[in-house]
Amino acid sequence: MQAHIKGSSVRNGAMWLLVLLGFWRPTAAQHITGEVRVAEGGVLPGVNVVVPGLERGAVTDADGRYLLERLPLGAHTVAFRFIGYVTETRTVVVQADTTVTLDITLQPATLQTDEVVITGAGGHTAMLNRATLSVSTLEARDLDALRGQTLGETLEQLPGVTTLSTGPSIAKPVIRGLHSQRLVVLNAGVPQEGQQWGGEHAPEIDPFAPARIEVVKGAAGVEYGVGAIGGAIRVEPRELPTQAGLGGRLMLNGFSNSRQGAGSVLLEGGSRQVPGFGWRVQGTARKAGDAHTRDYVIGNSAFEEFDANIAAGYHTERFGVDAYYSHFGTELGLYRGAHIGNVDDLLRAIERGEPLVDYDFSFTIDPPKQTIAHDLITLRSHYDFATRDRLELQFGYQRNKRQEFDAHRRFGEPDEDPAFALTLTTQTLEAKLRMAPRGHFFGVAGVSGMNQANRNTESGYLIPNFRALTGGTFARGTWISGPWTAEAGARVDWRWLEAFPRENLSRGDFVRRTHNYASFSGVIGGIWRFASAWSVAANLGSAWRPPGVNELYNFGVHHGTAQFETGDPRLGGERSLNADVTLRHATNRATLETSVYNNHIDGFIYLFPTQEEVVTIRGSFPAFQYQQNDVVLRGLDGSASYRLTSWFTAGLRGSVVRATNLDIDTPLIFMPADRATVSGQVAFPDWGRLHLAALEVEGVFIRKQTRVPTGVDYAEPPDGYALLNLSYHAELHLDNLPLTFSLGVQNLLNTRYRDYLSRFRYFIDDPGRNVVLRLQVPFGTVAR
Amino acid sequence: MKRILSFFALSLFLFTMSACDSTEPDDPHAGEEELITRVVLTLTGGGQTVTATADDPDGDGVGIQTETIVLQNGVTYTGSIALFNDLADEPEEENVTAEIEDEDDEHQFFYTVGGSVQNGVTVTITDQDGNGLPVGLDYTVAVANGSTGTGTLNVVLSHYDDGPKNGTDRSDETDIDVTFPLTVQ
Repeated sequence: MQAHIKGSSVRNGAMWLLVLLGFWRPTAAQHITGEVRVAEGGVLPGVNVVVPGLERGAVTDADGRYLLERLPLGAHTVAFRFIGYVTETRTVVVQADTTVTLDITLQPATLQTDEVVITGAGGHTAMLNRATLSVSTLEARDLDALRGQTLGETLEQLPGVTTLSTGPSIAKPVIRGLHSQRLVVLNAGVPQEGQQWGGEHAPEIDPFAPARIEVVKGAAGVEYGVGAIGGAIRVEPRELPTQAGLGGRLMLNGFSNSRQGAGSVLLEGGSRQVPGFGWRVQGTARKAGDAHTRDYVIGNSAFEEFDANIAAGYHTERFGVDAYYSHFGTELGLYRGAHIGNVDDLLRAIERGEPLVDYDFSFTIDPPKQTIAHDLITLRSHYDFATRDRLELQFGYQRNKRQEFDAHRRFGEPDEDPAFALTLTTQTLEAKLRMAPRGHFFGVAGVSGMNQANRNTESGYLIPNFRALTGGTFARGTWISGPWTAEAGARVDWRWLEAFPRENLSRGDFVRRTHNYASFSGVIGGIWRFASAWSVAANLGSAWRPPGVNELYNFGVHHGTAQFETGDPRLGGERSLNADVTLRHATNRATLETSVYNNHIDGFIYLFPTQEEVVTIRGSFPAFQYQQNDVVLRGLDGSASYRLTSWFTAGLRGSVVRATNLDIDTPLIFMPADRATVSGQVAFPDWGRLHLAALEVEGVFIRKQTRVPTGVDYAEPPDGYALLNLSYHAELHLDNLPLTFSLGVQNLLNTRYRDYLSRFRYFIDDPGRNVVLRLQVPFGTVAR
Repeated sequence: MKRILSFFALSLFLFTMSACDSTEPDDPHAGEEELITRVVLTLTGGGQTVTATADDPDGDGVGIQTETIVLQNGVTYTGSIALFNDLADEPEEENVTAEIEDEDDEHQFFYTVGGSVQNGVTVTITDQDGNGLPVGLDYTVAVANGSTGTGTLNVVLSHYDDGPKNGTDRSDETDIDVTFPLTVQ
C-alpha cells in the first residue's frame, strides 16, 4: 500500500480513475470448496453455505459438495445452515489465486432450529422455508449500502414498509399502514420502549449498529407479545467473535444535501487466554446541517447524534452469557415554520405553500427541537441440558429520556427549559425453554414480564405519569416433514396500568386511575414447498394491544397539527386478526416473494373529528376525540429480482394498502399511497483490485393517495411523484484491506415533491437531490 | 446449570431492585404549561372606565367566559390590554404583559372590529417598539357620533419568531385570539 502512496500523483490519479470506473487489469479468481457431512454419517445435500459479509451463497449438491466462486481476497466467515442441524461458522483466509478446501460436519440441532425457521437466513432453502408469515430482511451487505440513514429510511427498502416522516431527521417505519404502538421493535432481543405513541418520535437506534434487520409483517402477537398488531422489527447487533484475534471496521458517510457527515468505528476481539470470550466496542457520530428542498433551505432541520455500544460474551459448549450496553443520543431541530399557533395560522401557512422566510444554511440547532437519550442494557444467557433442550434467560433495562423544546418560552430560556420532558424506564425479564427436535416436532415455551414507569419532570405535561406491569406466557410448536411445515402457537398476556391524570382530564388535582387488560394471541400457519424452487406459506394470526396512555388521557393541542385531542379513559383494547398468504420462489437466477393479506382490527383506536371547535384564548382548534371502530387493512406487497444475463439484474418491488373504517364505511386517514420501485443493476467483472463493482439505477413511483376521508384533513393529499436514484458501489482491495465504497445520488433529477406521509407536507417540499458517499474499511482479522 | 441459576437469580434481583420507584406525581404544580388564561381590556374615555375580560380559568379546553364591551358613541377611549396566567406557579409569572413589553419587537396586537358597528369604531395603535413598529399594548378606540349597534372586537396577539415583524402582517404563531362582543350605545 505504501508503494502506491509513494508513487507519482499523476500515475496514482490515473490508476484511481481506472479503478473507480472498473477497468483495471483482471487477475485470476479464488474459491472456497468443500463437503458437508453429518455427525450420524453420510453427506448432506441442500445445505445453505453462505458468506454473510458478502451476501454470497451456495447450496450443497447431491454429494454434499459446494463451491463458492470468485471470492474477494481476505478473511471470510462462512456459515453452514440446514434445518435440524446446528449452524456452523468458520473463518478462512483466502489468498490470491487459490482454492481453499473447507469440509464441515454438522451436528443435529438442539435448539437453533426454531430460530432458523423464524429468523430468515441467506440462501434459497432458507428463503423458501423462511416463515409462515411474510418476513423481509436486510442483511449486512444491504445495510452497509444504506448506512448513515435513519432506521426508518433504511427499512423503506423493503416491500410493504413506508415511513411517516417529520422533516429530514425523523422517520418512523410504517408496516402495511400501521406504525407506532401497533409495532414491536426488538433491539438486541429486547422490546425497544421509547415514547412511541408520538408520530414524530422515531425509533432510538444507532443506524450503524445492526448487522441484520428483519421485518415481520402482520399480527405477530405470539412471538412478540402485546402490541405486535401490525408486525415487528427485529434489530440484531453483530455476533461476538468466538475465536482469538483483534479486528474492526471503520465506516464513513457523507451526504451532500444536509452536508451530513457520519462515521462509526468498531473494534472487536476474542481472547486466547479465555477461549470463548469475545468483546466489541463501537462509537458512532452523525452531524447534519439544514436540509434543502429543490428551491429552499428547510430552516432548523439540522441534527446531531452520538451513539456507543459495548458488548461482551462468554460461551462454553453448553453455557453462554452475553452482556450488551448501548447508548443513543440525539438532538434534532424541527422546521421552524411548522411551529404554528392556531388553526388559522395553519391554514395561512398551507395557503402560502412555502416558507415565510428565506432561511440560510446552518448547522445550528435551535428550538423547536428534541433531545433524546436512550440507554439499553441487556443480559442474555443460555444453558443446554444433556437432552439438548435449551433454557434461555434474558434481562433488559432501558431508560428513555425525551425532552422537547418549544420555539419560545415565557420567563425562561427556550434552549434550556423544555416544554416537556419525559423519562420512561422499562425492565423486561424473559425465560424460554426451547425443546430439541423430537421426531418431526420442536417447540418453544416461555414466560415474560415487563415493568414500566413514565415520569414527567417539573416542566411541561403531556401524558400523565404512569406505571404498567405486563406479564405473559406462550408456547409454540413447529412440525416439519418433507415439503411440509406447520406451526401453531398461543399466548396470554395481562397488563395492569396505574396512571395519574388530572381530574376530568382537564386541569385540577392529580388522581389515581387503574386499568386491567388481559387477552390472548394465537397463530396457525403452514408452508408447502410444492416445487423445488417454490413454496407457498399461509398464516392466520391474532394479536392485541391495550390502549396507550395517550389514547386514554390526552388533553390538549397537538403542536404542528393544530388539533385539540381528547383521550377517553373508557377505551378498550384493539384486536387484530390477520390472514396472510405468501408465495416464494428462489433460484440462482430469480427470486420472488409476494404476499396478500387481510388484517381485520376490532376496536381500532383513532382520532375522530368532532363537530364543535374548541375555543381557547389562543383561538379556536378543530376538536378530535379518540374513539374505536372496526377497520380492515387489505393489501399486496412483494419484491422480485431476475438475473437476465451474467451482468444485468432487474428488480421490482411494490406495495398497495387499502384501509377502510367498516363502521362508517370511509377510508382510513394517513395510509401510504401505492408505490412501485423498478431497478436495474449492471455488474462489472472483477478488474485488478476492484471487485463486485456494480451500477444500479432505480426509479421510484408513488401514486397520489386518493382514498382519504372527506372533510378531516386541512389540505388535499399531494400529487404523485417519481424519483430517480443512481448508485455505484465496489470493493477495492489494497493488499489485505478490502475497502468498500459507494457513490450514489438520491433524487438525481432534483424533483420537487411532497409525500402524503410527510407530516410537514402542509408547509414544505421534501428534500431535493442528495449525493451520498460511503466508505467502509475492515481491519485486523477476527473469527466469529 | 448452577451458572444459569445464578444468572437467573441476578436477573430477578435486578428486575425487582429497579422496580421500586414510584410514579406518583409529587408536585401538585407539575407540568403546568405557560398559558395566558385571562385577557383584560381597559378603556378610558368620556369620564368613565370600561373593562372587559376574557377568562379561561382552567386553561385550554373548556369554559372560556368573554364579557361584552359597552361603549358610548361619540367618545374616543384610551385603551390598554393586560394578560395574565392565573395558573402560574410563581406570582411573578402571573403577569404576562410585562414579558410582552420586554419583547415588544417580537409581538404585535391586531384589533379588528366586526359587525354593524364596523365602520363607526376605529382602533389605532399608539405605541411603538424599538424599530418604530406598532405593538398594541396602548391604543385608542374612536367611536363615531351616532354609530350605535352591536358587533365584535377581535384581539389577536402575534408572536414573531420565524418570520420577521413588519408592522402589518400577522405571524403563524398566534399567542391569543379572542373575540369580545361589542355594543355601542
